[in-house]
Amino acid sequence: MTVKLRFFARFRELLGTDIIVEPHDGTLLAALVAEVARKNTDGYAAIFDEQGTFREFVILMRNGKRVETAEAGTITVADGDEIAVFPPVAGG
Amino acid sequence: MIRVQAEDVNIGALIEAAKRPGTGAVVLFDGIVRDDDITEMELEAYAEVAVAEMEKIARAATEQFRLLHVDIIHRIGRLRVGDNILIIVVSAGHRPEAYAGSRYIIEEIKKSVPIWKKELTKDGGRWVPGEHGHGAGKL
Repeated sequence: MTVKLRFFARFRELLGTDIIVEPHDGTLLAALVAEVARKNTDGYAAIFDEQGTFREFVILMRNGKRVETAEAGTITVADGDEIAVFPPVAGG
Repeated sequence: MIRVQAEDVNIGALIEAAKRPGTGAVVLFDGIVRDDDITEMELEAYAEVAVAEMEKIARAATEQFRLLHVDIIHRIGRLRVGDNILIIVVSAGHRPEAYAGSRYIIEEIKKSVPIWKKELTKDGGRWVPGEHGHGAGKL
């Protein structure tokens, strides 16, 4: 299956965006984000703390809908999913 | 009109178009790039989600404040000091609803619409921190 990861703002600068990955069945959302983030030490550290937990301010979306980061370790990704990871919004 | 776009807009034309039957007041909010010792500002959006969220905010404001018309145009890309960032035009039968509706829309945008700003300076750049800890409320 294929899943698209989109990072925004500071996370995009560190990790890139529109990253297509091919996870195996049963891959958890949190694990997928961590795996992609690990390619850049600063990018990983911006999103995850020393225990490997999502930092408090990180926002996750799956197909345009908010997912609580605390639940991302129990949600499996599906073919065609678009996962977005971003810091607090600052528009207006 | 609810849009995220790079182009500027003709505010005068938006105000004219907002004068629907029954209009007694039009309120314009125009957020502008302020000269905070910056050279330019770079704006980035999760555009599909940002538009959907602004449409939701516009519907809620229309219902709550009996607005007759709402336009929200949020610009992205690289902007200079003095450029328009966010234009909100609302019309209503009376000024209390128009003012309150406009205020509601800008405050909700700041809470939940996935858009980010980077201030570019002579020494580099800095991301503007969100005013709300989490942002992008329940979508």
